[in-house]
Amino acid sequence: MTPILELRSVSKKFGPNTVLDDVSISIAPNEVVGLIGENGAGKSTLLKVLAGVHRQDGGQVMMGGREVSFASPTDAADHGIGVVHQEQSLLPNLTVGQNLILGHEGNTASAGFLRRSRIRARAQEMLSVVESTVDPGVLTETLGFAQRQMVEVARAVSGRQVKHPPLLILDEPTSVLEPDDIEVLHRRVSALKEHGSVIFVSHRLDEVLRFSDRVYVLRDGKVVGEQSSSTATESALYQMMIGKGAVEEIYSSERKQDVDRGGKPTLSVRNLTCGDKATDVSLDVHPGEIVSVVGVVDSGREEIARAIFGAVPIESGTVEIGGQCSEPGSPADAVRLGVAYVPAERRIEGMIAGATVAQNIAAVHPVKAGGGRVSSGSRVEQTARVWIERLGIRPANPDVDIARLSGGNQQKAVVAKWILADSLKLLILDHPTRGLDIGAKEDLYAVFRDLSDKGVAILVLADTLDEAIGLGHRVIVMRDGEITGTFDSSPGNPPSKLQLLKKMM
Amino acid sequence: MRDRLRIAGPSVVLVALVLLVAVAEPKFLSVNALAVVSAQAVPILLLGLGQMFVVLTGGIDLSVAALASLATVILATTIGTLGPLAILITLIALALIGAATGVLIVFGQVPSFVVSLGALGFWSAIALVASGSTTIYISAGYDAIFWLSSWTALGIPLAVWVAVASVAAVYCAMRFSPRGNVFHLVGLGETAALMSGIRTRVVRIGAFALSGLFAGAAGIVLSAQQQSAAPQLADSLLLPAIAAVLVGGCAITGGIGGAWRVLVGALVITVLRVGGSVAGIDPSFQQIVYGVVVIVAVAATLDRSRLSIIK
Repeated sequence: MTPILELRSVSKKFGPNTVLDDVSISIAPNEVVGLIGENGAGKSTLLKVLAGVHRQDGGQVMMGGREVSFASPTDAADHGIGVVHQEQSLLPNLTVGQNLILGHEGNTASAGFLRRSRIRARAQEMLSVVESTVDPGVLTETLGFAQRQMVEVARAVSGRQVKHPPLLILDEPTSVLEPDDIEVLHRRVSALKEHGSVIFVSHRLDEVLRFSDRVYVLRDGKVVGEQSSSTATESALYQMMIGKGAVEEIYSSERKQDVDRGGKPTLSVRNLTCGDKATDVSLDVHPGEIVSVVGVVDSGREEIARAIFGAVPIESGTVEIGGQCSEPGSPADAVRLGVAYVPAERRIEGMIAGATVAQNIAAVHPVKAGGGRVSSGSRVEQTARVWIERLGIRPANPDVDIARLSGGNQQKAVVAKWILADSLKLLILDHPTRGLDIGAKEDLYAVFRDLSDKGVAILVLADTLDEAIGLGHRVIVMRDGEITGTFDSSPGNPPSKLQLLKKMM
Repeated sequence: MRDRLRIAGPSVVLVALVLLVAVAEPKFLSVNALAVVSAQAVPILLLGLGQMFVVLTGGIDLSVAALASLATVILATTIGTLGPLAILITLIALALIGAATGVLIVFGQVPSFVVSLGALGFWSAIALVASGSTTIYISAGYDAIFWLSSWTALGIPLAVWVAVASVAAVYCAMRFSPRGNVFHLVGLGETAALMSGIRTRVVRIGAFALSGLFAGAAGIVLSAQQQSAAPQLADSLLLPAIAAVLVGGCAITGGIGGAWRVLVGALVITVLRVGGSVAGIDPSFQQIVYGVVVIVAVAATLDRSRLSIIK
């Protein structure tokens, strides 16, 4: 049977980084195909190529046996490819019907006017394909999340007069759904197989296996495995997804020293509750200790980190830093207590784009960086040069706009602004190496290890389980806002990823 | 390219304008003429200097001219009894008024142009009521401010030297104090600044307080120059003051600018003004010139990559 869609050796580069490397996949008519991979594995880029947002650098995209090339998302949609993105894309101030016909009004418009009755009929017809009972006349903002998602599915599968049977792409559709709604989605996806095919992208392995007939595994831009759902197991898929290679070295795990947990902890969190994101969390981080926290989206670990830094309000519970009871009301208070925070959103929260590298490095401790109460540009520059040298920031020019640097170099500058002060007691790292190349990662891990040796306590929200295990002296697992497990991670006896995964899911 | 345009452009324009006017009227370069021009530039410069802090943080203060008018009224009503102390009281009152605007913006989370537009109306009305809607002639206590406009050094009124000293002071504070660049940092990346432990709310309220303070100073100079106060005395200076900030090369999107740029901008605007009369352009058309100048300056210096949608 001719596949409805086939990718042949597709590759894509962004600058020097190869994001997709010789990717070949095929999707048969009436098939649901799962696509899994870690952050940065290339899933989103692959979807964007399919949706006509990006164009591949090499290889072919075939639909129904003929090569196609999408000039734009509209073009891809005309070929029958409908994407339901993680972030919803309906306009909240329009009715469901208006949203459904938006952009392809067709016969609902005549003589420049929209016909309300025709919109309703068209919308009803589109909604019936997914068996949705939503009234096309209601405002979209009054619908619940799951209902809106179903409207998007309806739009994606039946929006166009298409040349091919529809191919629906669902990007992380279950991550914000309640269990009942996931059940509904599952039934609809199964029903949609009658009309066309579905690509199902998710990081929840159990759901991928349940929804899909076949699963592709992406890692580092390559397809590393393809399995039938009937024979695949979660752990086998997981092994493929993360790779089996020994990656401990880059975390300089061998440098892990024993931590004396007899003294007073640097950070002591007791019964911390933040809104409905985190409940009753207690944890300690001792001087010189690196504690990793792992958990899926909405596990509440980000909330905890930000609460300790004073960036989100604490509902109840206490945070003690260096034995001092503190309720940091703002990041400024936390900074004064010796807390540092490297945020995950580097571009928005970590660095000040438009300011120079030197200005960024001096942003937190200007007195220290400027050499006293009377600061001068040259002293700030000198300090910056020292840290540029120490962390290997390239280009080695303190006066260049930080936005011009590569991600890894930007992150090094962001780290430098915190660690230049001797008053640093606790360093909170929120996905500190997300999206960085391996060299920059290694450099940063070495810096963190140095700080740990000097007695700085480090709380890290790890990007991957490897990172959590390799970097941390201990690994804390969170799920749904609560701590579900704590593991010691000594160099000789690390916890297995499966052990952690079980507590995460 | 845009960076160079921002830095060198305004100075080039200033020199070109001065030369143009000097060709049309050679007496323009005499000390007397320069004294008049510079004295005219002072209120615009002071208003612009205050406005600069707000613009640096990414906001705008539309109330500065109205506040300067109010300042003349406060000064005139207190100077008869309090003498020099009235100057201090005016400055403090205006700084507090500016801070109040800032508090509303920061804690109410309302865009600055809305709140400051409201403040413009509110304080204009207060000035009208407080003055009885008339011009107040300052006689008793005029000694306390008389020196600003009448005493000269090197042939130039002291008010000009005070204004230039203010520019220098602001420049030094921004250059040599460790936290001198907070306004710039907040304007470039407020969230990142907040997450770096900078008290961004305090910074933004401070910007409006400084805007109020300099509006007060502008009002005092105007009163000294005219020996009177009036509830609408400075109102026509709003557009020139904003134009001075933008023409000088401060970016309306925030984060870029400095005191010397405002000085250059204020001089450009003043020379345009004076040059217009020298060239025989009807003063009624001057507002057209400011309007055009503002739009051209913003179009030339706006960093569009930092705005997702131009509203």
